[in-house]
Amino acid sequence: MLSIKNLHASVGGKEILKGINLEIKAGEVHAIMGPNGSGKSTLSQVLAGNDAFEVTSGEVTLNGDNLLEKETEERAREGVFLAFQYPVEIPGVSNLQFMRTSVNAMRHHRGEPEMNAAEFMKLAREVSKQVDLDPAFLKRGVNEGFSGGEKKRNEIMQALLLQPKLAILDETDSGLDIDALKVVSDGVNALRAKDRAILMVTHYQRLLDHIVPDYVHVLADGKIVKSGGRELALELEARGYAWLGIKDEATAASSAN
Amino acid sequence: MKPAPTLLSTAFLHPAGQALPGPLLALRKQRGAALVDMPLPTRKTENWKYSSKYLKLTDEMATSLPTDGKTGSALAVPGYKVVFINGVMVPEASEYPDLNNILIQRFGDLSDAEASELAERLDTTLDTKAVQFAGLNSARFEDGLVIRLKPDAVLDQPLFIIHEVTADASGSAFPRIFVDAGRNSQITLVEEYISSGQEAVFVNSVTEFTLAEGANVTNIRLSMGGENVQHIGATGVTQQRSSRFQSHCVGFGGPLRRHDLQVRLEGEGAECKLNGVVVTQGTQHYDNHTTIEHIAAHCDSEETYRNIAADKSHAVFNGRIHIHQDAQKSNANMNNKNLLLSTGAEIDTKPELEIYADDVKCAHGATIGQLDEESLFYLVSRGISRREANVLLTMAFINELVAQIPVDAVKDTVQTRLNQFFDQAFQEA
Repeated sequence: MLSIKNLHASVGGKEILKGINLEIKAGEVHAIMGPNGSGKSTLSQVLAGNDAFEVTSGEVTLNGDNLLEKETEERAREGVFLAFQYPVEIPGVSNLQFMRTSVNAMRHHRGEPEMNAAEFMKLAREVSKQVDLDPAFLKRGVNEGFSGGEKKRNEIMQALLLQPKLAILDETDSGLDIDALKVVSDGVNALRAKDRAILMVTHYQRLLDHIVPDYVHVLADGKIVKSGGRELALELEARGYAWLGIKDEATAASSAN
Repeated sequence: MKPAPTLLSTAFLHPAGQALPGPLLALRKQRGAALVDMPLPTRKTENWKYSSKYLKLTDEMATSLPTDGKTGSALAVPGYKVVFINGVMVPEASEYPDLNNILIQRFGDLSDAEASELAERLDTTLDTKAVQFAGLNSARFEDGLVIRLKPDAVLDQPLFIIHEVTADASGSAFPRIFVDAGRNSQITLVEEYISSGQEAVFVNSVTEFTLAEGANVTNIRLSMGGENVQHIGATGVTQQRSSRFQSHCVGFGGPLRRHDLQVRLEGEGAECKLNGVVVTQGTQHYDNHTTIEHIAAHCDSEETYRNIAADKSHAVFNGRIHIHQDAQKSNANMNNKNLLLSTGAEIDTKPELEIYADDVKCAHGATIGQLDEESLFYLVSRGISRREANVLLTMAFINELVAQIPVDAVKDTVQTRLNQFFDQAFQEA
């Protein structure tokens, strides 16, 4: 489904991604792990089409279509979804209005009729239950005043509403307590489907206890340095990134404490 | 040697329409005499600094627009309405309440005694030194409306005053409204300024409100004239004890748009809430100057203005709060936020606080910014088009103020005009 070949990307003239190669088939869940600064978030943002990052070479296709030449909104309409690490707060735009506009943009793209406010409200209430988000949050501004956990649940709610082909989850576990982690993981597991690919980006392996990946890749200094199965994550957990000869300041700092 | 200032052309000092009671004719004449040698504002005129270059009065525009046989556009306005065409009321297009405690009279229908009393009160709500053009209105009005609410009178639905200019030829119009709200009376007054025709015209309007103790007045002002209309308007308000004045000014830009809003809190416990939304595009201009005079103690004022400027347009906000020495326990809050939708647009904002009392709460804030790139990316990453994302974020900037407009029909009118603005400002790539 997703094919990344020799992807190079930079921001402000500094190269962050230095030749990524990755193949993800429909139905698979891949985890990308790596220390801070390895390029995990850059990869997510580049796939979603953030033009703050410049792709300098390489190729990315989604079901054979060149993804890189498409605008962000076109990518989204064709099934790319990014759950943000830090979802932005947008006061003045209600969550409900935002989500309905988004769902209708997708429906319009597929030639389906738009959902009216009442139809959408019904759907949104159902899906908000699935991520344990009080429907009162629908009336608030987008992410406005949400806690870290509520923001992440709001992201997963959008994924459930939009039913993407490729869901990219950027540090979806960060800032979550154990209960919220369970809720978010249940939401992600509900997304698992044979016609959908999931790419999880994470620093720690604890998310992978809840969402078991088919493949694990280790990203370091803009390159995938090792790939394996689930057991690779467990090994990283036990031995740290240093085991692979990777310097990880965050891990080093936390083990020093 | 200093160059001689450009004076207001004497062509502007010839009022039309003599069918007014003697005391009002006399007032007009007196105000006119005071305007001989009135210098036109320049860049050096402090309160016209950013706007004087947009003022382009020609002698062709000095003549009063014809008022005979003009019926104006068909306006679907619910409820009570008064229609002014070219500064003169059109009774057959108007429909207003026939109540014994709310009197709505044309200036021309006043007795000499009533006119004499009115002449004493016109202009008293405004600082005419700062608002020079209010004096021009007083020298030129041909008609006007005085609305008197007796004590405890409550108008059960909004009264719309539609000011239309029909610009089939160049000329000017000088509509005038005076509202005398008695003790504990209540009214919602909606003023809509619109135009038809294409010739260059000048509108110079003045609306005044005097609120007696406990009166509650809501004023909605929509400025929606065309690209051929230069409009200088003023609103003056005086408030006695425990009265409440609420203003919602929504303005769409033009070649010259200037609105001075002056509120005097003269009685203890009076409060005012001033909301303003301005949107400009193309090469349009809009300038809001507001002044709140805290004269008595224990008064509250709250002011929230938002400007949105697209393309190469120019918006100006100047908000002055003056807390007099005796106005202890004043509570004043002023907030102005500005959104530039293009690098060619300009917004000038200037909050001014002058505080002479020592026990007051006074806060102000002004910001200028652009649409947030991170928010835009978030929205488009959900399949929303750039245009729609721009509209959502721009609406988000003013939603709160539009939502507070207390008359649904007006809210709809505003939204329709905003949609036209968005169509122009955010064309699909």
